Amino acid sequence: MLFDVERTTVAGRPGLTVRGELDLATAPQLVAAVDALLASAPPAFSVDLTPTTFLDSSGARELVRIARRAAAEGITVHIVAPRSNGPVRLTVDLLDLGAVVPIVGSAADIPAGISRRDAAT
Amino acid sequence: MTEPVLDQALLNCADEPIAIPGAIQPHGALLALSEPDLAVVVASANAADVFGRSVAGSTLDELLDTGDLARVREGLAGDLAEVAPLSVRLAGGDVDLVLHRADGLLLTEWEPVSGAEQAGAAWHRRLPVVLQRLSAAATLDELTAVLARDVRALTGFDRVMVYRFDAEWNGEVIAEDRSPDLEPFLGLRYPASDIPAQARALYTTNWMRIIPDATYTPVPLGSALGKPLDLSGAMLRSVSPVHLEYLANMGVRSSMSISLIDRGRLWGLISCHHYAGPHRPSYTDRTAAEFLGRTASLLLHTAVAEGEQSGVVETAHRQAELAGAVGQAPRALSAALTGGDVTVLDLLPAAGAAVRINGQLTLLGTTPPADRVVPLVRALLAGGTPVTDAASRVVPEAADLAGTASGVLAVDVAGGREDFLAWFRPETLREVTWGGNPYASKIAQTDTGPRLSPRRSFASWSETVRQTSRPWREHEVAAARALADSVTQAALGRVADDNRLAITLQRTLLLEELPKVPGVALAARYLPSADDVVGGDWYDVVPLPGGRVSIVLGDVAGHGLAAAAITAQLRHALRAHLLRALGPAAALDGLNELIGALLPGELATAVVVELDPADGRVVVANAGHLPVLHATPAGAEYLMQGRGPALGMLDAAHYVDTRIQLAGDDRLLLLSDGLVERGAGGLAAGLEHLREVVTAGPADPAALLDAVVTALNPPGTDDVTLLGIART
Repeated sequence: MLFDVERTTVAGRPGLTVRGELDLATAPQLVAAVDALLASAPPAFSVDLTPTTFLDSSGARELVRIARRAAAEGITVHIVAPRSNGPVRLTVDLLDLGAVVPIVGSAADIPAGISRRDAAT
Repeated sequence: MTEPVLDQALLNCADEPIAIPGAIQPHGALLALSEPDLAVVVASANAADVFGRSVAGSTLDELLDTGDLARVREGLAGDLAEVAPLSVRLAGGDVDLVLHRADGLLLTEWEPVSGAEQAGAAWHRRLPVVLQRLSAAATLDELTAVLARDVRALTGFDRVMVYRFDAEWNGEVIAEDRSPDLEPFLGLRYPASDIPAQARALYTTNWMRIIPDATYTPVPLGSALGKPLDLSGAMLRSVSPVHLEYLANMGVRSSMSISLIDRGRLWGLISCHHYAGPHRPSYTDRTAAEFLGRTASLLLHTAVAEGEQSGVVETAHRQAELAGAVGQAPRALSAALTGGDVTVLDLLPAAGAAVRINGQLTLLGTTPPADRVVPLVRALLAGGTPVTDAASRVVPEAADLAGTASGVLAVDVAGGREDFLAWFRPETLREVTWGGNPYASKIAQTDTGPRLSPRRSFASWSETVRQTSRPWREHEVAAARALADSVTQAALGRVADDNRLAITLQRTLLLEELPKVPGVALAARYLPSADDVVGGDWYDVVPLPGGRVSIVLGDVAGHGLAAAAITAQLRHALRAHLLRALGPAAALDGLNELIGALLPGELATAVVVELDPADGRVVVANAGHLPVLHATPAGAEYLMQGRGPALGMLDAAHYVDTRIQLAGDDRLLLLSDGLVERGAGGLAAGLEHLREVVTAGPADPAALLDAVVTALNPPGTDDVTLLGIART
């Protein structure tokens, strides 16, 4: 499957949907998409890993960097990683990405009142 | 006026049959004679004036004296060109007689000598010197300058220009000699429509045309022929009224042109204009001028090639210098190309250049603004037109950049980061001063339909052909491409070097002998990835006071030399923390601080297992790494307690020690994700498969690891690291 990052709108805010394998080779494309998105100074955005088929430490590292960058600019970020996407969610949980960026199980859970550590889903 | 009328007028202009005008200019008379009787078949209406008697129904015997007639008959027997001109004396005075054949007839043209300007014998004596100067000209500029000057000295026209056609038949004035009170036309360009195709075709076979007085009234040809006579070879041929109007609107009273023909193709013209009044150089002088044109024509080829050659050597020299600089500094390619004595901007004539290496852009000279350069170059490369002298035709959005980037020469530099080299040229304004405004054309109606009169207005009007630059020459493009190749080679070489370094570094991290710790059986397996790119796995065994040992397995995100260097730092830092014997969690806390402070943005995972072989007590702390697999006689289970986030995520982490017991035959397995990530079912399935294999696997750690590797058979896409621990 080819890698692709699509600009969408989720809950009225910009979103990036990541399709395919997010790893060392494809991470730069995600970075480029985030650059373009941040250029429009959104108050918040989300990264949807629902159609992501693979996530390794390089891909995760990029997600952490994106979260840090957004935080530095005062922009709220959510990462959507449904439990139904086993491999990706497992990697997210093993690394405990939730320690630095809110992880939600679906787009519907953005934005209101979700705690930083995803406990409910 | 309506469009269809204008179209029809243009069509009439293109169709105008200039070879068969049915009339001549009045500065001579024309008789067409049948052979061998030399009877007059066609006569111009002014023949009676020139001969002093009526010519209708006569033969040449009746019109010439015996001596002249004999010379004519003699000439007819051989090459007519050898005969011209014959000087004969008629009732009206001395006449130059010129002969040629057309339409099966002998055309005779009788031009009175009286009223013609003579350059004089002095000029003709200098002819050898003039020819010598032409041949000695080293460049095209010199050749055409000499030509213009000497044709003017010979013929006395107010202005003599040398005109060169471009590929689309537009003309450029490349040399000029003129009377000092005239406005210079040097450098001006004229549209192709100024000299229509049928005129150019005529000029390729007929070397010279003269219009002594552009205000003349055409003299009709009376004819018993019943069809128009082909006057394409006749010097008295009457010219197109459109052309006369053109001259009139430029204030030109007399004009002459001589073709410049290079190896059979019309290359340009020597164009002579006179303003002060009518002007007619003698036939002899005109012939001498034509001779200069023919001589220059033979020399054009060499002069042009000479000019083109000079740029080629220069460019080749610069390209070699730059390639040398690049080869010597593969890690500083941008600086090599832009910071030295010779830069990419010096490679070929251009106003600006851009170098994008490793994603960083450097601009030299005059270029579009930085944020426009990359999109423009990318668009041209993506569109398959990396070399253009009219960028806005390919990329319409670049129209506003015409001042800096009408011409773009771009070359990719391979390396995967969309790097490139590019050169820019501004638009070369082509200015054309016309005698009038062509768009204010006024159509004149005639009996045969509307006829275009292109220039009525006397005001000058400049038209600029915008947004095109001087075209890129073949050798310039070749040099640019060759330089880009050198840069690519250097970049690839650097990557290969880096990889070799990384592999070497990793080997030192992983292939040292495992220290022997009494009471502990240790096995390790490391499978490097199949690509020549090194991953970030490491492991370590740190003996502690009192017989305990700390065993580490870690993984730095990323590949290549950068990751390997980080891995080395982390390994040594963790080792130092572990030696303080404060336990795995404290050591990981310290390591996390280090990453946060010294390696921001990096991510790593690590698991630390501290074993006391004396009593089997194990302390485990895990920072985001895959869980340790604990194999007991009852089966194998993953240790999920006491996990913390990956290293480098939080500024301050608090890892937790978990305590378990390693009984007699128990084994612990530490693994990296390369073993289990890429299985068909994904990570979870891979972990489960491993668990099953270990449950059923042999007791000895080394044998167990072999069994695991065989069973899981990981693809070579990532490094695989495995550690097996048991008590002896």
